Amino acid sequence: MNATSETTTGNRRGFLIRVIQTVHASIGATLAFVVGGAVVAPSFSRREKLWLPAGTVPQLTDGVPTAVTLRIARSDGASEMVDRRVVYLVKTGDQLRALDSTCSHLGCRTKFNPDTKQIECPCHGGVYDTNGNVVSGPPPSPLAQVPVRVEHGRIMVEV
Amino acid sequence: MTGPLRDWLDSRTGYRSLVRRALYEELPRGTGWPFTTGSVVTLLVGCQFVTGVALTMYYVPAPSLAYDSVRFIMRELPLGWILRGLHYWGASFLVVATVVHLLRVFLLGSYKAPREVTWLSGLAMLLVILGFSLSGYLLPWDQKAYWATTVTINIARSTPLLGEYVADVLRGGPGLGALTLGRWYSAHVFLLPATLITLIVAHIALMRKHGISGPIEPEAGPGEAFFPWHVIRDTVMMAAVFAALFTVAALVPAPLDAIANPSDANYIPRPEWYFLSLFQLLKYFPGPLEPIATMVVPGLVIGFLILLPFVDRADGRHPFRAPRRVFTTMVIVIGLGVLALTGLGVADSPPPDGDDWGLLPIAGWQIATAEASPCARCHAPGAPAPPLAQMRITRDEEWLLSHMADPIALAPGVRSAQEPAPRPMLSRFKAQAVVAYLRREHAGRAHPDIDPAGKLAALTYAETCVACHKIGGDGGTMGPDLSHVGTRRDAAGIKAVIEDAAEMYGETAMPTFKDRLTPGQIDALTNYLASRK
Repeated sequence: MNATSETTTGNRRGFLIRVIQTVHASIGATLAFVVGGAVVAPSFSRREKLWLPAGTVPQLTDGVPTAVTLRIARSDGASEMVDRRVVYLVKTGDQLRALDSTCSHLGCRTKFNPDTKQIECPCHGGVYDTNGNVVSGPPPSPLAQVPVRVEHGRIMVEV
Repeated sequence: MTGPLRDWLDSRTGYRSLVRRALYEELPRGTGWPFTTGSVVTLLVGCQFVTGVALTMYYVPAPSLAYDSVRFIMRELPLGWILRGLHYWGASFLVVATVVHLLRVFLLGSYKAPREVTWLSGLAMLLVILGFSLSGYLLPWDQKAYWATTVTINIARSTPLLGEYVADVLRGGPGLGALTLGRWYSAHVFLLPATLITLIVAHIALMRKHGISGPIEPEAGPGEAFFPWHVIRDTVMMAAVFAALFTVAALVPAPLDAIANPSDANYIPRPEWYFLSLFQLLKYFPGPLEPIATMVVPGLVIGFLILLPFVDRADGRHPFRAPRRVFTTMVIVIGLGVLALTGLGVADSPPPDGDDWGLLPIAGWQIATAEASPCARCHAPGAPAPPLAQMRITRDEEWLLSHMADPIALAPGVRSAQEPAPRPMLSRFKAQAVVAYLRREHAGRAHPDIDPAGKLAALTYAETCVACHKIGGDGGTMGPDLSHVGTRRDAAGIKAVIEDAAEMYGETAMPTFKDRLTPGQIDALTNYLASRK
């Protein structure tokens, strides 16, 4: 009799402990979902790409990269932010290409050197040719190509 | 597998004996459901901490960005609306749970010797929690935040002797602004949490020192272990309260008024419901009697609660038998008083203004978003200024109006008197309409459904009537407010006044519009105004 009642109490106790653990875990999981979601989610949001005007073809000199600064307004949390993206427009004969001026090594801003006719990165000495291909230095890949098209005489780039 | 690791951890920290001490305390026989109120308070405090920490990642405590950061949380941040919902409604739940806990302790006489200090630490926590609420609702920097805090600070001025100094310190400067917001934010996220944690630790330590008071009439026989036999009751109550909180937060979004507008004379500030009784009490003690409502009555109630365990020293814990009957009566009177005042406050509330767009914002909406809108020249993707939809209103009304008249002069007032002002890009009336529209848009109000006649009425109103007549809070005050003109006159009467007011009223300042407006404009205005009930 005594042994049975002890077992019953033991079973009840084990059951209650499982209920307690489950309920507390559920409350914790709900809070973790809401709080964790709100904390992590914005990290993965990306701005929508925009086609922006970047000058006209006659402004460009053949084979010489022309740096164009584009202003991109975007929401930035509670604030708004104007990003400035610098893009090289390079005309070679009939071909027009746009290169991102950001160095593919560690993200510094590159600069066209008219004396050497090369694009140089001031940070770690990366050097690119006017097509964006690596000439020397640490950059692992060419400068990124930016989609470009000519529309009603205006050069449009997608940033 | 984790056994050896746990043994090692226990040998180095002794955590097992700590857990045993925390969980296996023996409770008096008959300790039942009434003793779960403290756990509910603890759960809600925990919830406020966790959600509060996440909110601080996005909230910006500066008048120029505070409102927009809350708007960002509510409208753009994934799960932000429910995060703020849990925090906002959690505050109300916490106030209720704390008062219920206090009433439980009172009714079962648990505050009596030797537990006086436990009772006092609990009272201190109630005040800290009210301090959280008070500092919390300034933070969104919306109309309610601004005006309710203005009132609170002015109430502090009625403190005897030190009133003005207290108000100055609370405000942090000559006027309500960045300095005020900074210190209230700091109090809300550092000072008050640190105080509350200290008090909670002290409260629980004191509770363990003296043990749980248990049922009024001690029952014979062995007690039961706290874990799991009482913890299961705590857990069930916590689950029920959390489910209720989550449901409310999911179904009713936390409110956010329009952005604080210090020049708005129409806003009627109202505190959160838990301060409504004090707010209502103020109405009955005008002028020099005001300190009775702001200091004397609340002081007496708090004083009574503080002194209670020192006055009520006789044996016997039953609330409705001598010697405690008299105290119970007093608590019931206080409770009924608070309830009655809260009820009267609710009954006295002005009706919510809803999504009244009025005609001015509708006109501004058309002007700002029209095909050839002057705004869109600069406010466009890739253009010098961000698109209007992304803009924050960080400037005051005068700046906005000057900017719309002369968009290039970004610092109005710098043009010298010798330089001729350029022809305004947008007339003052139109600019006012655009400002009214931007405020509605910015407050996240849904766009109304307007037919072409309504649009015509809006533009006509914005060019002519607005100078003298108010509709839905916007407009001049020379003539009567037309917000509810439909209840006073029918369409024919309204049309007659618009066409020729002098014929209706005799001598009047209102011009005749028969020849100035087209019949189409007059009909559109008449139909709109007649519909304003």
